[in-house]
Amino acid sequence: MNETISTFMTEDHRHCDRLLAVFEHAVERGDWEQAGGSGQELKTALLNHFAREEDRLFPQLLAVEARAGGPVNVMTMEHRQMRVLLNDLEQAIGARDRDACLGLVETLHFLNQQHNAKEEGILYPLADQGLAAQMGGILQQLRAG
Amino acid sequence: MIDTRGLSLAQAPPFHVPARFFLTAPFFALLAGILLLWEGPASLASRWLPLALAATHLITIGYLGLLMCGALLQLLPVVLGAPVPAVRWVGNLTHPLLGLGALLLAGGLGFGLPWSLASGAMASAMGFLVFLFPVALALWRAQGEPGTRRALRAAVLALLATLLLGLLLSAFLLGLIPLDDFTHWANAHLLWGLLGWVGLLVIGVAIQVIPLFYVTPPYPARVRAWLGPTLLVLILLASLAEVRGWGLTATLAQGLATGAFVFFALLSLRLLAQRGRRRLDPTLLHWLVALLAVIAAALAWALQAPSALIGILLLVGLGVGLPAGMLFKILPFLAWFHLQHRQIATGRFDLRIPHMGSLLPLGWARLQFGLHLLALLLAVATIFLPVLARPAGLALVLAALVLEGLLVRVVLAYWRASRALTLPL
Repeated sequence: MNETISTFMTEDHRHCDRLLAVFEHAVERGDWEQAGGSGQELKTALLNHFAREEDRLFPQLLAVEARAGGPVNVMTMEHRQMRVLLNDLEQAIGARDRDACLGLVETLHFLNQQHNAKEEGILYPLADQGLAAQMGGILQQLRAG
Repeated sequence: MIDTRGLSLAQAPPFHVPARFFLTAPFFALLAGILLLWEGPASLASRWLPLALAATHLITIGYLGLLMCGALLQLLPVVLGAPVPAVRWVGNLTHPLLGLGALLLAGGLGFGLPWSLASGAMASAMGFLVFLFPVALALWRAQGEPGTRRALRAAVLALLATLLLGLLLSAFLLGLIPLDDFTHWANAHLLWGLLGWVGLLVIGVAIQVIPLFYVTPPYPARVRAWLGPTLLVLILLASLAEVRGWGLTATLAQGLATGAFVFFALLSLRLLAQRGRRRLDPTLLHWLVALLAVIAAALAWALQAPSALIGILLLVGLGVGLPAGMLFKILPFLAWFHLQHRQIATGRFDLRIPHMGSLLPLGWARLQFGLHLLALLLAVATIFLPVLARPAGLALVLAALVLEGLLVRVVLAYWRASRALTLPL
């Protein structure tokens, strides 16, 4: 199957999910050494994903598809909410607060899953359709960072 | 054409719409437990006993009906991008009608009161009908995972069939119409209700939620696409054969449907065994017990065990347990989600919103699961040792009370935080 915006970005979602699982497992075991590292990895991966969307995908989508305006605003706002949760999580890791880490990661995961479901169900298909002509170039930009 | 309406902020109904359904539902599980506690050893001797019928309808209409309707009003916009039209009105009408309907119907069935049966059947039917049409419209426009869409559409059809058959049975009990063989019509009602509405809804939700919650591989595409429609056809065939008295066809179709549910339960267990999030949270424990209860119920059916045993496994193991487990995640998330939006609206970023773990403490949720498991095991044992009926009833009551306590705690924390956010700096 040819790679599309949908397949590439969906795989990036799954990558972040796996990192979250590794981090959560480390916190549960009380392995703070590993939790610090995998928490950082999770944060970097999620922030990179948001940047791919906000800096590259969304502006190009908005240029060709006016209907994407509302959904893009909602997605960007949810990114902001997740950035706040990631910062709270970093503090909780620093304080080695197991309950706060687990409660925050649960909240982050739930928010992220319903966010991803909306992107994968509506926004990415819209992008595949509207940006079909530029697909190769956009995929290259998305892969770059 | 891709519809983006589902992605507006107005998509989610206000917090109080689903919260009201969720807060009321445990009282009906509590009442079912009280009936068991009150009647004692005789209560589960047969599924036809008046109090067994009353307890069944308290659970199916009062507890499950409220929880599933409340959850669908919330779930459809978020998961399938399909807001339910006039959602406040639907909530305002369906919630009291189902609650009242469950009470009156249980009173009518349990104590032989015709006026109570008639008004309970009408109120329940109206409650479900007010819900069914806007939800059918939303599902018609739905997007997202096609398998979930199909299974939920099938579940809504099954609810309509269950409701019409229930009205027919009530009319017969009230002496309004003759029915040649009441048992066969009652079996058809039960097939549509348990395998159709409850079973298909669980499949539709599981396909979507198990991979998301627990980071498992997805259900295979063919299973997602075809399991719901196949089951709908099998249930239709089984209920037709049941009513027509085609014994062999009825058994065959029921056997195939049962096999499909066992296949689904085993597949779900295998996916969960491969899950990325290793954590054994109370929601996952409820899923595991519910899936095992489905397999046990199928075995009981194949071994021609008493139908009361199958009823207990499905109603308590799956019906009472699984929604409780789902609420442990859904309600605190909704509270957090709405508080977030309030924070953005009021700009009070100096305040910290409580996260899901502090809204609903998992230690208490684990206790709720333990009490539920105890209630299930005792209720199953009651089939063989009737003297255990009262302890089973007590465990059911305690599990429902702890569930209610947990939900109330989330709502109170929501109110407190919400008020703090609205206060000026």
